[in-house]
Amino acid sequence: MKKNNRISAADCLFIVALLFISSPSFSQKNPVLSDAEVASVAVVANQIDIDYAAIALKNTRNAEILKFANTMANDHKAIIAQAVALVTKLGVTPKTNSLSEKLLADAANTKKQLRSKKNNAFDIAYINNEVAYHKAVIGAVETVLIPESENAELKALLQNVVPPLKAHLAHAEMVQKMIIK
Amino acid sequence: MKKAMSLIGKWACLFLMLVISSCSTPEDKASPEIPVEKNPVAEIHTVEITQMKFFPEEITVKKGDKIVFVNRDIVAHDVTEEETKAWSSSPLQTEQTWMMVAEKSTNYFCSIHPVMKGRIIVQ
Repeated sequence: MKKNNRISAADCLFIVALLFISSPSFSQKNPVLSDAEVASVAVVANQIDIDYAAIALKNTRNAEILKFANTMANDHKAIIAQAVALVTKLGVTPKTNSLSEKLLADAANTKKQLRSKKNNAFDIAYINNEVAYHKAVIGAVETVLIPESENAELKALLQNVVPPLKAHLAHAEMVQKMIIK
Repeated sequence: MKKAMSLIGKWACLFLMLVISSCSTPEDKASPEIPVEKNPVAEIHTVEITQMKFFPEEITVKKGDKIVFVNRDIVAHDVTEEETKAWSSSPLQTEQTWMMVAEKSTNYFCSIHPVMKGRIIVQ
């Protein structure tokens, strides 16, 4: 269990550090990410959690984990649908960038770790990762993606995404307390 | 003969109207034992679901009043009685609404996002 926490925390710290280094405070004049790149990061970050949920739905029998994973899959799909509708309206094509690639590479490692676990060990690893991942994504959206967005509608969408992410984090922490007694 | 046919027609219409009016709707499943007719001054209140919260989180109504829940959020929510799950709406997609008749004071929550909670106070 401690190992799982270390992996999640390390992933989390790395993402936040990467995002913090690229934050506006380090580059006030020239935005690090274009709106097309912000859109790509937003879609990738949501898709990663849908992928984690799909692994959970295959690997758990725990009712609370099943319910949580279903909510993650449905909510993040809804958020992606909103993002796709907006970029289509704006005529923006999400552009892959070093940050979205890094998120995908880290997610590949996390998915490998999750797939290697069974039963209660899987449930603990999954929910610990959900807590860490949502903390990292909330930090990224608030400190990087929102400040980096130039288009007002894209910025508003990202601002609307924060409350669901915070509710997900609170829900994940609630399930975590139920599972890790 | 014509009079008899007319009378039968009227009774048939009346019967049909009674059948239609007695059909239950999703709105009154929460408390079917309180027909609105018993509260002729029933008011309609609105609770908006926005930014992952019920707004207002606490609402004070009179017995028999109707409460309409409107989902203004970007994800689906439901409205479920918290203690025994005695009643629940189905999942409400963005901009969908659900109406219930307030019977008694109760706590409720969103069963999809259990951290979202609200309270109805019936005076």
